[in-house]
Formats: sequence, C-alpha cells, structure tokens
Amino acid sequence: MNGKRIWFFSFLCFSLAATTQAALVFEKTTVDLNPDMNASTAVAVFKYENKGDTLVHIKAVKPSCGCTTAALAKNDVAPGEKGEIKATFTIGDRSGLQVKTISVETDDPKAPQTVLTFKATIAQALEVTPNFVFWQAGEAAQPKTIIAKAGKGVTIKKVDVTSSSGDFTAKVEPGSTAGEFKIQIQPKETTKPLNASLTIKPDVTPAKVYYASARVMPPGTAQP
Amino acid sequence: MKALLRQSVALLALALLPAAVQALYLRDKIPWQSRVAESDLVSVEVARSWGANALWVDARPVDEFERDHIPGAVSLGQDHWSELLSQFLEKQWSPEKKIVVYCSAESCNLAEDVARRLRDESKLPNEIRILKGGWEAWLAKK
Repeated sequence: MNGKRIWFFSFLCFSLAATTQAALVFEKTTVDLNPDMNASTAVAVFKYENKGDTLVHIKAVKPSCGCTTAALAKNDVAPGEKGEIKATFTIGDRSGLQVKTISVETDDPKAPQTVLTFKATIAQALEVTPNFVFWQAGEAAQPKTIIAKAGKGVTIKKVDVTSSSGDFTAKVEPGSTAGEFKIQIQPKETTKPLNASLTIKPDVTPAKVYYASARVMPPGTAQP
Repeated sequence: MKALLRQSVALLALALLPAAVQALYLRDKIPWQSRVAESDLVSVEVARSWGANALWVDARPVDEFERDHIPGAVSLGQDHWSELLSQFLEKQWSPEKKIVVYCSAESCNLAEDVARRLRDESKLPNEIRILKGGWEAWLAKK
C-alpha cells in the first residue's frame, strides 16, 4: 500500500513538472538580421508576453558584447502584459555573420534565465581577399594577388588602389567575372623589411574605402 | 530494502526523461554551449607555456583593453578593425608565432569573430587559437 502511494506521488510530481512552463514567453528567441550595406546599426526586437498568473520582474538584461545595447521599457510585467526588448547592434568595422546573445534574467523560478540570440549578416560592397600579402626576406620579389569582388547586388566597374609606400607597386586587372578585380602587389625588393598600407576605392555611392596591407619580413624571420 | 532501492531507481529514471526532453528542445538555447571546436581553444596554462612564441590579441573594445590587458597583448577590436589590423600586420605580426585571441569571458564571442577574420580575410598562416575562458580565466590564474 505504501509502495503504491509513493508511485502515485511520483507520477503526480512528474506530471506537474512536465506541464509547467515559464510565465514570460518570448515570441522568438532567435532573430535573423540583414542590415543595409551602409547601415551603422542593426536592431533586433524580441517580443514577450507574461502568460502566467503572477507578476514577473525582469532583473537584468545583459548583452554578450559591448557592441550591443538592450533597451527594456519596464522591468515589471503583469499577467497578460506584452512588451519587447530592443537590441541595438553597432556594426562598426564588422563583416560576415555576427552572432550575439542577450541574457534575460527574471525572478520566475521556472525560467530564471532566457538567452536571446540574433544573427546579423553584415554584407560588404567589396570583398577583399586576402587583405594581407607578405614576402619572406630574400624571397623572389614576384607580384602577389589580392582579389577584390563586388558584394551581392552591387555593381562595381572600377577600383583604384594606392600604396602608402613607393616600395610597393599596385596594379589592377579585370578578374574572371564581372565585378571582380585582381590587384597585383609587388615589392621593389625583399632584402630589407618593408611595409605598406593599400587603399582600395571602388566606384560605389556612397563612397567607401577598403584597406589591405603588404609587408616584406625582416631577415631571419622563421617560416610559418 | 530492495523495494526502496527499486523505487529510487524508478524515480531517478522518471526525472531523467523530462531532463532529456528539455536538453533536446533547448539544444540551441543553452548559453554555455560553445560554438568553438575544442581544437581551436587553448588554456591559459598552455598559452603561457608558449612564451615569446605566442602573440596575444585582445578582441575586446579599446576602452576595456586600455583599462587592463594581458602583458604584451595587441588591441584588435572590431570597432576600429581596418586601422588596428593594418597596425598589427605591419608591426607586430610574424608568420611563425602562435596567435592567441581572447575576449572578456567564456560567454563572449568577439574572440571567435576576430580569429575567423584573421583566418578567412587575412589568410594568416599562423596557428590561431582562442583563449579558453578569456580575460576572466587569465585574471583567475594570474
């Protein structure tokens, strides 16, 4: 009899545990962002609702990175009340896929922490690969190629490249497809350490400048 | 006694079932789950043992770097990427060194972004690792 009671009690606990859910429910916990190419920020909005029957207090909203700020209109969410957390991501010089998280801490024992994620794809008008070329000391002073390619949906007909140093020459040639350019970088010599910054200007509006670097290593530098 | 043991095991099994379901459901939402392969990480102890063969790269924002940083580290945050990258490549970088990138803690992913850009955009031939636990781990083992 005693054993049956324990079994019944266990079943009851299990059933209750299985049916409980957090009071604060987010519409989505992951958001994909595709900011405009010239945008300086991207904004992700996470909508929530208190589906429980008690007030929920949002104790903290913590972004994973200093590049993101999270704004919350109010910390206390009454039962049935809706609201949103607005995360503003500063793009800066970032590129490619950026995955950032925001941790939301509440006094709800069922869900003390929820992690919100946004994935921002930062497109570039011009993709420069590699953005660095180097020569070992004594290596043949042959040109090395940097490929500059127009981003998706961008038309680029011309690219100008200037070197900060006369020790390197930069020559632009058409690439294998429209919108692609081969930038040939060549050092005058490789017997002494040299370096230069390369400024790459595509004919896009608004004007945008990209950079690459070139370097001749000092004698005695080990191979990778 | 046997009955009690049986019931304890049964209770544990019952508790495991919802835990497994939750783990499967929240697979992508667990904050401590790292997106970085273990082979791309390096512990503070191992990175330290590399001595002068390690090139420390601080991926945190410049103000945090200026407040304090690992001795000898170079600031390479993405807010001023182009400018800082040029300086790094022209002055500090060397092809034979191991690059250790760090940000503030285990949960931040700035180091991951910087390591990716050094590999994919700059095509650096170096071994590039991310410091496990970041700046916080360094401070704890100082």
